[in-house]
Amino acid sequence: MLDLSGLLIGLLQSGLGNLAAYLAAHVLLCLVPAFFIAGALTALVPKEAVTRYLGRRAPKFISYPASAVGGFVLAVCSCTIMPLFAGIYKKGAGLGPAITFLFVGPAINILALAYTGVAIGMDIALARIVLSMAFGIGIGLIMALLFRRDDAARDAAGPDAFAASASVPRASWLLLGLLVFLLIAGTLQIGLFTNTYAQVTLPVAGTDALQATLNRLVPFDPARGEEGVTVQGLLLIVLLLAIAGAAWRGLNHVDEGFNRWTAVTLALVAATLLIAALRLTPAADGLTMAFPGKFFAVGLALLGTWALARRGFEAYEMQEWLWETWRFVKQIFPLLIVGVFAVGAIRPLIRPEWIEAVAGSNTLFGNVVGVLFGVFMYFPTLVEVPIARLFLDLGMHRGPLLAYLMADPELSLQSILIIASVIGRRKAWTYVGWVALFSTLAGLLYGAWVDGASAWLILGGTAAGLALLALVLNRLAARGASALVAPKFPAPETVPVETPERP
Amino acid sequence: MALNIKVLGSGCANCARLEKHVKAAVEQLGVEATLIKTGDFDEYTKYNLLATPGLVVNDKLVAAGRVPAVSQIVTLLAKELA
Repeated sequence: MLDLSGLLIGLLQSGLGNLAAYLAAHVLLCLVPAFFIAGALTALVPKEAVTRYLGRRAPKFISYPASAVGGFVLAVCSCTIMPLFAGIYKKGAGLGPAITFLFVGPAINILALAYTGVAIGMDIALARIVLSMAFGIGIGLIMALLFRRDDAARDAAGPDAFAASASVPRASWLLLGLLVFLLIAGTLQIGLFTNTYAQVTLPVAGTDALQATLNRLVPFDPARGEEGVTVQGLLLIVLLLAIAGAAWRGLNHVDEGFNRWTAVTLALVAATLLIAALRLTPAADGLTMAFPGKFFAVGLALLGTWALARRGFEAYEMQEWLWETWRFVKQIFPLLIVGVFAVGAIRPLIRPEWIEAVAGSNTLFGNVVGVLFGVFMYFPTLVEVPIARLFLDLGMHRGPLLAYLMADPELSLQSILIIASVIGRRKAWTYVGWVALFSTLAGLLYGAWVDGASAWLILGGTAAGLALLALVLNRLAARGASALVAPKFPAPETVPVETPERP
Repeated sequence: MALNIKVLGSGCANCARLEKHVKAAVEQLGVEATLIKTGDFDEYTKYNLLATPGLVVNDKLVAAGRVPAVSQIVTLLAKELA
């Protein structure tokens, strides 16, 4: 009995420790700006700026890349994904681009990318972007080939839902640019941002004792990838709680107008970002405060954002922006906190040997297990990231890790059922099969690169493989649909993956 | 002429907010209007809606994927009445 309660307390401690470490170390400089970017994308970028490239008359070399890139702008909100997917499929560019959009969207939204980059590594975040765009376009083309007869019969009548066009106002571009700079300045580990340029020691007594207490309360083992809580982290957590309280009064009804609490909230957010960019070290004679480059960069970005928000926009636009940002926070953050706590609590129960035995090296089996785990486990948005981090710490190879990260947001039983209701069961399961195959492939390829294989060899092999696949499918489809006037499909490797020019 | 207004979208926070804005706008104008809120996918397709919430006035989609301010909705409705 005593043993059991001791174990439970241990798990609770581990969960809280993980939560505190995450809040302090990863969340602030990455997720806070990312939430503001997501809000700005939703509130200040007209959706027509992207959807006009997805109409039924759009040529393939525009509609596929536009679907891939459109995910970044349009897929931040789940309100958009399914209606737009159905719209592109039924009334727009067709099954292929719709599938591309569906595949790429969840993988490259700004929140997932920023969080993956900071918590796991920029290499995985970049691999996630590049591979999901390339494979998203590949899967789209394959689906369009397989079901070309069906696609030719889709609804071609009625007014064009994608005719409306709009351009992104210059002020929105500027604001997004500033916010992205804020995100990069706070998270990128390069000398310019991490070198210390000034240092002062505040005469605050007792911080070293506080640190010792914290280390006792949240014991951690760096060898297992665990992180403790610092005095700075504690300060930031207190500030986060204050922001939550102020935002409840200041942002819940911000769409009806600003109030005093809105100002308090924004001031607290700015202060938190600045303090998070500092480096505080407790010492016997006081608290040493170091100013790295990122402190100044974050300060500049905040000033610029404030000036632009005051001058470049209508009050209503700013209210919308803050409202959308807060809505994302309310929707995603509570689940993320629960997820991070749970991950921390189960961490001591999982033995590294298990993970290493299954996915410790870049094998086909390891990658398949990663994908299957992603499909059958359903985690709320962003929770896949701390889970991936847990696996990484316990010895998972980066290849299978990427396979898991590719499959998890794309496929869950729930989303498969919704997709089936739009495009039918046969197409939906075909899609699932291709996603599983390509995610496994992505993991294997990335794993091979991590293990030291030449990047050119991998790229060449991928291109050749995709070309061969396209050739075979083209044969099959041509045999099956000889009566149809077959439209020409470009082979996947000739499709430009770079972003189309935007207005 | 009475106004026939539909709010497309169910569940999401912005859909509820759009409904609230529409009610406020109708009240401000002091006109008669029927308001229906629906989350039916067929309705989305019928009006070519690509992103919820959508606002349909007299069978025309006038706003999609965003929540217009009350004053903007008042202008929209007034134009429809004129």
